[in-house]
Amino acid sequence: MSESSLDYFLADKPGAELTSSLVAEACQTLRHNRDDYLAQIGNEPIIAKLTEVAALWRSSDYELRKIALAASPEETGFPPEVLAAGLDACFEDWTQEKFFMLLAQEFGDATRLQSFASEPNQTLSMVHGPQLIAHIAPGNLPVPLFQSIAFGLLLRSAQFVKCASAKSLLPRLFGHSLHTVEPGLAASLEIAEWKGGSVPLESALFAEADCVVASGSDEAILATHQRLPFAKRLVGYGHRVSFGYVEKLACEVMGTKAILARAADDVIAWNQHGCLSPQVIYVEQFASLKPDRFAEMLAEELVARNETMPRGPISTKEAAAISTARRFYKIRSANNVGALLWESEGSTDWTVVYEDEKQFQTSPLNRFIYVKPIEQLEEALHVLEPIRESVSTVGIAASEARIRELAVPLAKWGVPRICPLGQMQRPPLAWRHDGRPPLGELIRWSALETA
Amino acid sequence: MTFFSSLDEACNAVRTFIRRCENEPLTSGFNELALGLFAFQFAHNTPYANLCREEKHTPETITDWRNIPTVPTRAFKSLSLTVLPEAERETVFRSSGTTRADRSRHVHNRTTLALYQASLWSWFAAHLIDDSPNRLLFLVPELGQAPESSLAHMMDAVAKRLAKLDHCFAADGQWRLDAVAIIDYLYDCATQNEPVTILGTAFSFVHLLDHLDDNALEFQLPSGSAAMETGGYKGRAREVSKAGLHRSITDRLGIPTRRILSEYGMCELSSQAYDGTVGQANASPRLFRFPPWARARVVSPETMQEVAHGHAGLLQVTDLANVGSVLSLQTEDLAKCHDDGFELLGRAVLGESRGCSLMNLNHV
Repeated sequence: MSESSLDYFLADKPGAELTSSLVAEACQTLRHNRDDYLAQIGNEPIIAKLTEVAALWRSSDYELRKIALAASPEETGFPPEVLAAGLDACFEDWTQEKFFMLLAQEFGDATRLQSFASEPNQTLSMVHGPQLIAHIAPGNLPVPLFQSIAFGLLLRSAQFVKCASAKSLLPRLFGHSLHTVEPGLAASLEIAEWKGGSVPLESALFAEADCVVASGSDEAILATHQRLPFAKRLVGYGHRVSFGYVEKLACEVMGTKAILARAADDVIAWNQHGCLSPQVIYVEQFASLKPDRFAEMLAEELVARNETMPRGPISTKEAAAISTARRFYKIRSANNVGALLWESEGSTDWTVVYEDEKQFQTSPLNRFIYVKPIEQLEEALHVLEPIRESVSTVGIAASEARIRELAVPLAKWGVPRICPLGQMQRPPLAWRHDGRPPLGELIRWSALETA
Repeated sequence: MTFFSSLDEACNAVRTFIRRCENEPLTSGFNELALGLFAFQFAHNTPYANLCREEKHTPETITDWRNIPTVPTRAFKSLSLTVLPEAERETVFRSSGTTRADRSRHVHNRTTLALYQASLWSWFAAHLIDDSPNRLLFLVPELGQAPESSLAHMMDAVAKRLAKLDHCFAADGQWRLDAVAIIDYLYDCATQNEPVTILGTAFSFVHLLDHLDDNALEFQLPSGSAAMETGGYKGRAREVSKAGLHRSITDRLGIPTRRILSEYGMCELSSQAYDGTVGQANASPRLFRFPPWARARVVSPETMQEVAHGHAGLLQVTDLANVGSVLSLQTEDLAKCHDDGFELLGRAVLGESRGCSLMNLNHV
């Protein structure tokens, strides 16, 4: 099978001109198809098909996976090694048990999607998802969209996915895997691509959809919001940042090597693209391992990792952002003004900057990590105050007991997700993105009060 | 190699070189002068010398100006990159920015400032002055209102050089335009049939054009009128593509495209590049050119090696007029080199505001 033989979704037809009426017609077809099939089936068959799709994707001989991994990094955003690792991490979690756990977490009782089920207060209730969801897909990572599509299927929603231009390959491949496993499921899914901000197409889509799920910059979400008709629901996920935190006894508990390996895992996963990847790792001072030494050792770890999982080529603009930042730290490092730099030679493959200045720093990504010293968590929360609203994930290296202790002030401060270092880009299937219920924001409840 | 024992001597050598270039653009001696200045800066600019030593690129090892270590423009924000002793740092050029720490700082004394003026004037005159005795409308504050702006310095120097021409500075210290004064001035130019050159940042032009739009005003400025825009937007105005901006200038002010120029400059440099010459049929795409005493190179951001013409990379500039600070700078702009100039492609900085302005606002 080759990419050119894929012909099912709008985005499969390169050069085909989209019009607002075409988008509207596609949406109407999706609704019909949904009514005919998806809306009629139970949780079990949907979940069974989703786990079947996941199993296919995890198999190294799967044709569509091979197409994904053979595609140019320009098209997918990632070199094959990084993409493969990211896909595996995602689909590993797609088990029957976890999907049912997700439904239980969100609705208390998974059968509520199909019929009324009782609630503690003696009433009966049922939930239903939007008939048609429009996704404005994020341009960075593919897997959050796969999850979103799976969630839409669980809610029996028809779905129209709008990808950014030249970013539709992976969504299409995923859509085709659904199509192979169960054409009925794929029949209520459409995938198209166009450059964001194309008002006629988006207006047609927004007019048809019951709910819009959008990821992107805060400005883009706001712009979408302003263009949505009043009654339409918008579930928007804006830009977030994440950081790592190494507690002072972590080395004694976990061993320095293990911490470094976990830190590198997080830096390498999806080459730091995505809101859950660390841009800064704070290392508690006054421990056996000094923060600058940690930075140096992390650099050594990244050298080794680049052998097994190369960062791969990036755009000139991304590389320029890295080399610009590097040159700045190079001269600061030469002048001994609180910054040290470790960098790959002759390439921008990886960069570690140690900096005394404790403020959160946005990294140019693609394996560019800041290491900063911190006295204790209290100080971290103080210096991070300006980005409090933007934090997604904190990955901690510490004993389990200590993580639990640190989690309380972090949660109170507003961090939606706290996890062990090394798992920052591997949130569980049912995780609450930005602290919000994964399905709960999409559905509506119907209550049946009994006499 | 030329050896300079003092800043005055080094500045004089560059002024002489500039004068020679004015008569003979293919003047030789760039490399020798660059190496001499590098040695001088290595001896007197400590933070820069530390970088060079760390990279093992010192006056003893370098024979080609292309290998002179570059300093990133961003480093001017946190380090004192100057050969001037504290007491001589009389004038400061600062880039725009929200906080002090976020702004570049390029210091001058009387000698280096005079060289800055000589450099800017020579290339400005070559590109913006023709036979038309234009009046000058600066969408820029007077120097006294914005003493740390390199653009205000530049425009002040231009106004003084062209003292016999009528001029008007029409922005306040916060770069807010005095719309009434501008409209009056343009009206006067139009009714007196006296051509005018309007100079300002891209965002000031947008503000002006928006004001004209809002009030349904349109000028057909006298033939010979011209415009020069520079810098970016940084949230000070809605962002407009360069082509769009130039179109609006033509539509609203009646200045033809061939008399609209873009300037590329920044507070960390002492020379500027222009993307054409007023009144000439300028090639498309418009290519920027520095004067013969400042040379642009485009390097691969991966390897930092110069890339072939036509390939995108990071723009580096070696500006001999930067005697008092650092002559070789690495900008944060992406560019492509062509045979007779370079094309700007955008900023190298990633951020939430993707698709931001093509130009550098450092100059303001």
